Formats: sequence, structure tokens, C-alpha cells
Amino acid sequence: MNRMRISPRRRLNDTLLAWKMSSGVKQFIADVAERGSRNTMVVIGTTIVIIMIAGALLAPVLPIVDPAQLDPGFEEKGPSSNHLFGTDNLGRDVFSRVIWGARISLLVGTLAVLFSLLIGMTLGLVAGYFGGKIDYIISGTIDLFWTFPAFLLALALAAALGPSLTNVMLAISVSYWASFARLVRGQALTIRERQFVEASRALGANNRRIMFTHVLPNCLAPLIVWASIGVADAITIESSLSFLGVGTQPPEASWGYMLFRGKTFIEEAPWIATFPGLAILITILGFNLLGDGLRDVLDPRLKGLRR
Amino acid sequence: MADLMAYVIRKLLLAIPVIILATVVVFMLLYLTPGDPVSALSPPHATKEQLDAIRQEWGLLDPPWVQYGKFLSRLVHGDLGTSIGFGTVSTPVSSLVTQRLSNTLMLMGIGLAISYSMGIPLGIIAALRQNKLADRSIMVFTLVTYAMPSFWLGLLFLLLFSVYLGWLPAKGTTGGLGSIILPVMTLGIGNAALTTRMMRSSMLEVIRMDYITQLRSRGLRERDVIYKHALKNAILPVITVIGLDIGWFIGGAVVVETVFSWPGIGLLLTKAILNHDFPVVQGCILVMAFFVIIGNLAADIFYAYVDPRVRLG
Repeated sequence: MNRMRISPRRRLNDTLLAWKMSSGVKQFIADVAERGSRNTMVVIGTTIVIIMIAGALLAPVLPIVDPAQLDPGFEEKGPSSNHLFGTDNLGRDVFSRVIWGARISLLVGTLAVLFSLLIGMTLGLVAGYFGGKIDYIISGTIDLFWTFPAFLLALALAAALGPSLTNVMLAISVSYWASFARLVRGQALTIRERQFVEASRALGANNRRIMFTHVLPNCLAPLIVWASIGVADAITIESSLSFLGVGTQPPEASWGYMLFRGKTFIEEAPWIATFPGLAILITILGFNLLGDGLRDVLDPRLKGLRR
Repeated sequence: MADLMAYVIRKLLLAIPVIILATVVVFMLLYLTPGDPVSALSPPHATKEQLDAIRQEWGLLDPPWVQYGKFLSRLVHGDLGTSIGFGTVSTPVSSLVTQRLSNTLMLMGIGLAISYSMGIPLGIIAALRQNKLADRSIMVFTLVTYAMPSFWLGLLFLLLFSVYLGWLPAKGTTGGLGSIILPVMTLGIGNAALTTRMMRSSMLEVIRMDYITQLRSRGLRERDVIYKHALKNAILPVITVIGLDIGWFIGGAVVVETVFSWPGIGLLLTKAILNHDFPVVQGCILVMAFFVIIGNLAADIFYAYVDPRVRLG
């Protein structure tokens, strides 16, 4: 491609395009919010997710005990008015540790999904849009990763890389991107054959423009649904890895790690493991409800997206 | 049947790159470990001489592709390497794995049976009573059990049935038949949610089809319409996902075996990870991946056998 100076007219066009796109996205969001508010699953899911995110973000300013503070003489005490969820084997407040744990679990969940979304979206878009040899190579790779069970791959990677927050996110992203790539590739394959794409090309639009203005916006709905479900899956994988001892490590104690530690005391102090587990259950339920509900709202044809 | 054979051969050929990928991933794991690969293969506090011996034995001084070639040729001969973590005697990984394989397969087999014998009837009931109380309760039940992490469900079962009620043994296989009940229930219930949802949506799709309406209008009894005609078609997609379920189940088995100290490959794997016994980690992952690939293949072939549209399409 020759490096021409961008003409003023082209620049104006690009600005107009960006403005049109942003208004399109705004319209889309308003539309989803309007229809979503009438769907029970979306409403319950959104409420749970907002409460969890708010708890995670506000943990430093909430009037709760320091999660690292030891309470000597108060080890392994059951739930009481002082310690709502009881105390752990070192006398730390379980309630406060659950709220601080939300920061780690949600951070890993969202970032891991964001990474795999970026990898998957880019590769899927390129493969589906260009087709041919590029598609052959990329979709072969997608299929390989798709067949390989995600949890096993994440476990293998986490075991090799060693337990840490970054390694867990890396392991989840590497094992999860294929589902996004499959989705976008499938959409891109059908959309590039549509007449409006042909019309756009006839008017002189280049590949980049077609990909970003036509193909990608049409993938938005299924991507949002899949991302919400993906966060739930990522939190499940993270907590399972942490439970097995290859996930996050203190001081970044996620819910899974708290269960890993708490399982030793399950007989004498069951609350140490019970409450973090309940937090995982509610969070996953929230993201799943949101994802399932949004799928029904956005596109009933996506019913088969997930069993 | 010729088209079925062609389909089977095509699927077998497609499984080869996946198996190769699995061996590459497992081989590369060694190089992903922080620091010198030799440190992942040696016992802690190994002397310089021991390290050199290990480098020699594992051929770590060769270029990577030569190492991979040797790794593959050992694999083909059934040699998965030697454990470095279990006592002083070096045990071959293959014998560690084969000792525990039957325990894992038993756990997964019974778990699968539980999940299908729960999920299929629940899914049918939910579909036939769509949007009624039974359907709503079943759907809430599946939403909750699906979101429930299996290790947490396992711990709750342990707490209820062995700590509080004292009915079932908590750990290992010492309790005979009773000791497998909690692990298989944990594994089965977690997956039953998926089977139920799948069965429900598939049944809902089938009972709206014209041939069902036609059967009803001919005056067939509703029971016969559902169980003799609708179920046959509705159950097909549920059966195919057995292949996908195997991948899910093997991950679940690792977690459940750890919770209940059930002596299978999963427990071997998590112990090996915590003990930094790298050859055992590699061996376990490889054997598990192999089973998943074979499971997927078997499910694909079975589906093509029962539904000719698959092999022709």
C-alpha cells in the first residue's frame, strides 16, 4: 500500500464514519437496555453482577475489617455479630476476606476473557473474512484448541508456569480464545457474502473499512453473550486451579485459594470454605443469567450457542 | 455403509494432528517452567553431578527438535519417563498411571451414568411442562447446580454425609463401595445440569415438528407420541455431547479426586504438580488428553452411525 497523505476529504469521511458508528453503538446499547429490562434473567443477572463488582471496587472504603488483620484468641470462631462469616484458622475475618477475594476473582475472570476475546476476535475476523489459505491455517489451529479440553490445557500451563495471578490469566486466555475465534469466523463467513458488503466494496471501501464497519458490528451481539458466559467460565477455571494449588497465591487470595486453604479445616470450621464457595456460586450464577438472558433478548437464533 | 467407513477414516485422520498437538504441548511444558528445564526434572537440592546426569539422561543438551523426536519415540514404546518425586526408587510413570487409570475410569463411568439418568428424565419433564411449575423448578435447579463449583459441592457433601450424618466415609477407598458414592454424585450432579438443558431444548424443538402434530391428529396416545416417536429424534443431540462431556468430566475428575482423595490419575496429577514431579505431570496430562480425543472420536462415529445426515453432510 502506498503511503499517500490523507486528503482532507478522506479525513472528513473518517470522522463522519466514526460518528455514525458511535451513534450506532449508542442506539444498540439503548436498545439492549430497553429490551433487557423486560427480561427477568437479565435483570437478576445484572443485579448480581453489579453488586459483586461494586463490592470488589469499594472493598478499600467499605467499613469492614482489614482482611489481613489477625484476631488473637479468635481463631476458627463461627459466624457472630462481630465476624459475620466467622474467622479463619489465623483469626482473620472471613467476610472481609470474601469481599477482598472478589477483586482477585473478578479481575482474573474479566481480564482473561478480554485477552481471549482480543486474540479470538482478531484471528476469527481475519480467517472468516479473507478465507482461502489464511482461513485454512487459522481455522485448523482453532479446531485444534477447540478439541483440546480447556481446563486440562489451563491446568497443564499453570502447572508448568508456576502459581501466580498473571500465569493463571495467561493459562485461561490460551485455552479459551478458540471459542471466540470460532464465533467471529462463522459470522464473518456469512456476512462477507451479504449484498451490503458487496455494495460497500463497489463504492470503493477497502478491507479494513468493511471489516470494522460491517463485519464486526454484526458480531457484536453474540460476542457480548459469549463474553458474559466466558467470565463465568473463567472464574470457574480460576477457582478450580486455585483450589488445586496452582492458581493465585497470597497476598492475592482469590475465592478458590481460600477454599484450597479452608478445606483442611472443613470438619472443625466449615465456614472458612463454605462462604467463599457461596460467593463463587452466586457470581457464576449472575454472569450465566446475564449471558443467557442477553442471548434471548439479542437474538433468539443463538439458542444453540450453548447447550 | 461405505459412506460411514469414509466418515470414520476422515475423522481418524483429523484426530492425528490433535494427538500430535497434545504431545507438542506436553513436551513444551518443560520449557515453559521458569528457569533451566533441568531444575524441573531434578529433585530439590540436587548436586551438580546429579544435574549433569539428568541433562545427559534426558538429552537436554540436544537441540529441541531432536529432544522432541526422542520424546515421541519413547512415547510410541509406551515409556512416559520416570517419576522423581515418589520416594527414592524411581518408578516408571506408565506404571503409576496404569495403576490408577481404572479408578478414574470407574469414577467417570458411574458419574456419566448418573448425569444421564438424572438429566434425560428431568429434561423431558421440563419440556413437556414448559413454563409450568415443574419446568421452572427444574430450570432453577439446573442454573444453580451448573454454577456450583464441583469442589465446593464435594466439600458440602463431605460435610453433610460424612461429618454430620456419618453415613459415608470421607476419604480414599477404605470404605469399600460406600466410598465411591460421594465422588460419583459430585461429578454426576454437576454435569446433569447440562444434560437437562440440552434434553429440554431438543425435546421442545422436536415436539413442534409437523410429524408429531400429524401423529397426534391421527389420534395416537400422547405417551406413545412422546416416548415412541419424539424421544428417538430428541435424544440424538444429547448423545453426541457425550464426547464433549468427556473433556468436562476429566477436568471434573481431577478436582473431585482431590477433594475425596480418590486414588485416580487426577489425584496423581495434583500431587505431582505440588511435588514438582514433572515427568508424572507430563504423563498424566498426556494420558488424559488421549482419552478425551478418543472419547470425542467415538462420539462422532457413534453419531454418524445413528444419524446418516451427519456422514453425508
